[in-house]
Amino acid sequence: MAALLLPATLLVLGLLVAPMAMLFRISLNRYDAAQMMQEALTAENYLRALADPYYREVMATTLGVALSSTLLALLIGFPAAYWLARMESRWKSLATILTLFPLLVGNVVRAAGWMALLGRDGAINAALIGTGLIAEPLPMLYTTGAVIAGILAVVAPYMILTLAAVIEAIPRSVEEAAANLGAGPLTSFRRVVLPLALPGVAAGCVLVFILCMNAYATPVLLGGPQFKMMAPAVYDQFVRGTNWPFGAALAFLLLIVTLVLTILGSTILAGRSRSR
Amino acid sequence: MGTLTLDAISRRYATTVAVERVDLDVAQGEFVALLGPSGCGKTTTLRMVAGFVPPSSGRILIAGRDVTKAPPHGRDTGMVFQSYALFPHMTVGENVAFGLEMRKVARAERDARVREALRLARLEGLADRLPRQLSGGQQQRVALARALVVNPAVFLLDEPLSNLDAKLRAEVRIEIRALQQRLGLTTLFVTHDQEEALTMADRLVVMERGRVRQIGTAEALYERPADAFVAGFIGRCNLLRGTPEAPGRFRTPGGALLPCLPQQAHHGQVLALRPERIAVATAGDGLAARLVAVTYLGAQTEYHLDLAGTRLLAIAPTPAEGDPRRALAPGDAVLALWDPAEARLLPAEPGDLPDDAT
Repeated sequence: MAALLLPATLLVLGLLVAPMAMLFRISLNRYDAAQMMQEALTAENYLRALADPYYREVMATTLGVALSSTLLALLIGFPAAYWLARMESRWKSLATILTLFPLLVGNVVRAAGWMALLGRDGAINAALIGTGLIAEPLPMLYTTGAVIAGILAVVAPYMILTLAAVIEAIPRSVEEAAANLGAGPLTSFRRVVLPLALPGVAAGCVLVFILCMNAYATPVLLGGPQFKMMAPAVYDQFVRGTNWPFGAALAFLLLIVTLVLTILGSTILAGRSRSR
Repeated sequence: MGTLTLDAISRRYATTVAVERVDLDVAQGEFVALLGPSGCGKTTTLRMVAGFVPPSSGRILIAGRDVTKAPPHGRDTGMVFQSYALFPHMTVGENVAFGLEMRKVARAERDARVREALRLARLEGLADRLPRQLSGGQQQRVALARALVVNPAVFLLDEPLSNLDAKLRAEVRIEIRALQQRLGLTTLFVTHDQEEALTMADRLVVMERGRVRQIGTAEALYERPADAFVAGFIGRCNLLRGTPEAPGRFRTPGGALLPCLPQQAHHGQVLALRPERIAVATAGDGLAARLVAVTYLGAQTEYHLDLAGTRLLAIAPTPAEGDPRRALAPGDAVLALWDPAEARLLPAEPGDLPDDAT
């Protein structure tokens, strides 16, 4: 059995761990306009990123968008996941495929669709002006709301399918027992379904939060030039500024913040489900 | 505490009928078993009473109140599920307290009633365990305690013994019956195990393909089955095809004339005769038969007879040593004798007779 793990282990070591180690090494180098970077062992890239109010704001925006998208995905995703998990008919596999449907379209193509929908001359504004409800087009594209809506469309399937797998494992008879003992649907949800689904809630939130923190195409295309999240900022440093050491430092800061919040969040949720 | 009335309830699906016009009255404190092969509609009937399946037509009354449209949590039934359906994230005590919490019973009273229910179910000292830390039998008793602690108007049991091993099943059977009688619980019990139904229930409802075939006490069903299906389902029975001739005479396809209860010719086409009511003798009165097989079962012996081409099973206490019947072997000629009153003509529907009825 152990030998069968070898290909996967080599793949992870070669394609994930090695580049990460290299990236970390680069983040400790010094930027040089002439030769791009000098070999060094310095923390100055990290200190600069932490001190710069601009990057602090980018990080705050990233966290805000990621946290609200995760929360919204959970709120939207739970009822959908419950419905999907409790579906019995032959339509179930169709519903599962429909849930996955947004993922069949690439991020850029999907964002273009949102732009056509939300833009100044987009479908929604055209319809609203056409019916005389508004005179001037509403600013919808290039807002935080547009970015969150765009990200939600990507992450909702992950949340729904993760939750559905856990809810499916909760026997229906357990819910029936709660009803039989006098619990209405809301009480049954609060006292029985939700506590038993907590591991799925934790897994879904972690998965979605990581995806949100690292969103690239959606914030760039739907947020516009003024809107900055961490992944596009890292890209800017590498490609536009050619400042690899600083870009690498930003990437590692993003990684660390994501990791710490993920561990914190899942520890709290796991603790809740155990104490119950 | 209360009565239960099913008034012509039916459950139809797009292409099938799961339950068709079932009428049943369960008196206060009565234990009624729904019995039948799988797919006969007994579980659907129980789930309609609990409120998990809405009837397509008909009414359900619990303690005189029409609950046909009431949701499950508004029905005051206490159900024990086949899988027990304990809340896995709650302790035994929390599981049992759940129904009382839902009924907003004050803390002190709740604690006292939980303690009492755990004592009745012999679960003292296990209140702080989680269900997964208990044996199957203990989990089953938690499910019982959880359903009983709320004093439901009607107590519903969905094959609660099917996940227990044989020895435990026999014990729990007696325990449930004793508890039910002591608390005077109006009980509806679903099972496919006729022995379980015969030993526990005051009355049995035999169902088949969605319909009630017969309702009665164990003795009534065994001695006076309404049709060939009930006769074959409750206990063992010889079910013979043939033609009723003169009153009290039944002609088998092979030509033998069998004595039976007279004046029933209009009643049916199948002759039902319990194997233990047939005496096998080597001399004296009786119809000539040939012995096909003898099976010694200790206390009893089974005789497979061929009576002019008709197979007949007879079961008798094993004869004493020295009795000539003790030496009977396949191929021997014997005489089969029964009281004509024991052989009854019964109506039969297609599919009621298994191919080898004996």
